[in-house]
Amino acid sequence: MLATLVVVFYYPVGSVLSSAILVDGQFTVDPLVAVLGDPFYVDLFGFTAYQALLSTVVSVAVGLPGAYLLARFEFPGRKFLRSVTILPFVLPSIMVAVGFLAMFGQTGVFNDLLSVVGLGPVKLVGTLNIIILAHAFYNAPLVTRLVTAAWESVDTRRVETARTLGASPLRAFYDVTLPQLIPAILTSAVLTFIFTFMSFPIVLALGGLQLATVEVWLYARVQDLALTEAATLGAIETALSLGLIYIYLRYEATQIKSSSGGRRLARKPLFVGWRSLVDPRRLGLFAYSLLAVVLFVGPLASLVIESLTTPQGAFTLDYYGFLLSQQSSAAVGTTQPLPAISNSLLFGVGALALALPMGVLVSVVAIRESRGSRLAEALLTAPLAVSGIVLGLGMLRTLVFGTELFGHRITVTGPIVIVTVHAVAAYPFVTRNITPALSGIDDRLVDAARALGADRQTALVDIELPLIAPALVAGAAFAFAISIGEFDSTVLLAEGVDSATMPVALERYIGNRSLGPSLGPATAMGTVLLAVTTISFVLIDRTGRRWNRR
Amino acid sequence: MTMKETNSIPTPDASVDVTDLRVRFGSVTALDDVSLSIRDGEFFTLVGPSGCGKTTLLRSIAGLETPSEGQVIIDGREVTAEPPESRNIGIVFQNYALFPHMSVAENIAYGLRFHDLSGDRDPDERVAELLELVDLAGFGDREPDQLSGGQQQRVALARALAPEPDVLLLDEPLSALDARLRKQLRVQIKTIQRELDITTVYVTHDQAEALAISDRIAVMQDGQLQQVDTPEAVYRDPASRAVAEFIGDNNVFSGRVTDDGSQLSIEGGLLPLPTGTDTADGTSVTLSIRPELLSIYTDNQPVDGQTLSATVNTVEFLGDAYHVHCLWNNRTIVVKAAATTPPKGEVTLQFDADDIHIL
Repeated sequence: MLATLVVVFYYPVGSVLSSAILVDGQFTVDPLVAVLGDPFYVDLFGFTAYQALLSTVVSVAVGLPGAYLLARFEFPGRKFLRSVTILPFVLPSIMVAVGFLAMFGQTGVFNDLLSVVGLGPVKLVGTLNIIILAHAFYNAPLVTRLVTAAWESVDTRRVETARTLGASPLRAFYDVTLPQLIPAILTSAVLTFIFTFMSFPIVLALGGLQLATVEVWLYARVQDLALTEAATLGAIETALSLGLIYIYLRYEATQIKSSSGGRRLARKPLFVGWRSLVDPRRLGLFAYSLLAVVLFVGPLASLVIESLTTPQGAFTLDYYGFLLSQQSSAAVGTTQPLPAISNSLLFGVGALALALPMGVLVSVVAIRESRGSRLAEALLTAPLAVSGIVLGLGMLRTLVFGTELFGHRITVTGPIVIVTVHAVAAYPFVTRNITPALSGIDDRLVDAARALGADRQTALVDIELPLIAPALVAGAAFAFAISIGEFDSTVLLAEGVDSATMPVALERYIGNRSLGPSLGPATAMGTVLLAVTTISFVLIDRTGRRWNRR
Repeated sequence: MTMKETNSIPTPDASVDVTDLRVRFGSVTALDDVSLSIRDGEFFTLVGPSGCGKTTLLRSIAGLETPSEGQVIIDGREVTAEPPESRNIGIVFQNYALFPHMSVAENIAYGLRFHDLSGDRDPDERVAELLELVDLAGFGDREPDQLSGGQQQRVALARALAPEPDVLLLDEPLSALDARLRKQLRVQIKTIQRELDITTVYVTHDQAEALAISDRIAVMQDGQLQQVDTPEAVYRDPASRAVAEFIGDNNVFSGRVTDDGSQLSIEGGLLPLPTGTDTADGTSVTLSIRPELLSIYTDNQPVDGQTLSATVNTVEFLGDAYHVHCLWNNRTIVVKAAATTPPKGEVTLQFDADDIHIL
């Protein structure tokens, strides 16, 4: 297991990191000095941190009212809403970026609506604002999710005790509830900072090189074949994000797990007839919900709408026609949609098949409490901290360009590399799903099975795996969705047209001007991607449930 | 007595033997040099306060803990290094540990996948037989979560017994149940154990349960055995202060033997020593006397035997008697009094010096 990871992760990434300090086999700090001493790069890192900080603040601000709504109020669809907060996370980021273009672009849905009431147009594309909004789209639900969970685990009896001792409701919230929420808020903030620090497709599509972050610039340097410079950038970025992940893991480990006992806070009904309209708190939440719909549903709806309408607002199927014409085009260098779709599905299945056992193994290692397993867990968690571009670059430098082993030159090509990279990107999410489920299983079930005659492996198959089946299915769905949406590494590794995936094709269509200056082709491809992602997610879930039913 | 060929068996008729067993968890020694012989067909109970090592000992017999030193021998076969699945044991846990994704019948049948039944019996028949044994005939198709706690525990017992194990191990099986059910079920467990004549190791922190159910008891503390004997002997003749205080209610005093060797001087008072006590003056001695061996008199009439003057502090009503907590020289002495009204005020405590037990 670790050996696999060494080959497909540590070796490639190590090669990137080492090239920052090794030139022709000699240790040197020249590349590091060159980058760190260059005011341009200092500014680049500064700007990257700045936009990550702003994105974090906005994501927390947008996420917290959501947690309040979900944790403290009861309304139809609450459970559904609570479970869809996970969805943005698995949506392909390049598709979301195109959604934001469709929503907030010059001729986008937002400006169309503004012009109806005689306002606008507002220029958002190419500004920091739209990047931060798109980051909030991804990370605010994460904040909501983590804080809601913490809020729901507050033991009513503690609040009631505070109240009986004389605390007002507000005071009890401040003294009892808030201290339990703050760790969740900080955890989600640190995660958001890490994710937005390494953000790539959103900044690439919405900001371009004018608003480049480290990741975008890194990509640009790779495209210009300035590989040493790119590697140095990647090494510094990886060091920074590893530091952040370390802080996050240390912090997460110190958090006290709430006791499973106790009663949970009761939820208040959100709708209380006409009185809902005079209660400032509920009015605030209604306004918030409206904003949330604009931010979260808007871009996806705009993606579909723009793919079916001309800039003048008339219905059209031209953009889908464009996809068909690309398919039948014989011109060299044309990215055909159908192979992209089948590549995506194929890579998705491959990544799923690889990531699932990897994820299960990591979970099994993680829940064993010994020093060796701590180290193994840390080594197995590290891929979270390494950006897709750095991994992709490492793959290019090692396995793809070839590597010497026992005198033989070994090269691994396109699809296999892409599938492994996707699996590396996906298995942490499998682990995230499986570890809680696995550690939730009473050890005595396995003890009992073994006393009855089952050996350890048989007990795993007979007892543990069936009990974590729902988590396995969820993990599989995640792995598949992550693979389908993966852009950062794939765009570097999908050389030429043969192994382009849907997100890569989508990015190529953004710049396509064959139908005039229109986002149409990209939105059409984006809609196809959205449909394929949704259908496969639902299919995996359904199949899983049927298989799970006994 | 016949000699066995192998000399690895310390006691020829023992079904479970544990020799010099030591188990460590990091720097904590959970079991410290424990040796035990549990006889064939015996109902043997490990009892002690939480953290005393009783569960660790049971789990070591099951193969669920790995001892750093010592041996575990089941039915004459050394199994110290063997995994649990090859020891032919049945185990029941406090929280039942039923497989939630299997029906009651599937739970019971699980162990039969790995064992051949004696006389080539049909597994389905065996399951039905066991459901009958634990009074759950007709419950086979239920899911575990459709059963009450007591029913779930009976399924766990049936599951453990199904593969015809050599030894039945029970880890606090009744602790999660309410008091009434606990008493009913312990009678049922004992009855089944007698019926099957199966060697049984039972772990509990409840000394009353241990006394009620066992052929023999091992009292444990701090990873060590304090005393191994019949319930009667452990109760009447405790081997240490720890046993005297843990098993049953007791009054325990420590002090020094007086100059004439006939009394024990404890802070603020003198207590008689039983006749024939062989102790030099000045030695420190611990003695105990059970609450039921003391009598309590409220009227100031002179009474025979040894007496102490005391004051009633608190009274607990037990139904058939009172537990009277008296203060004598700032020490509490508990007396079990079968009176119809609770005693109060100044009282005289009377006892026979020979009922005092020297520890």
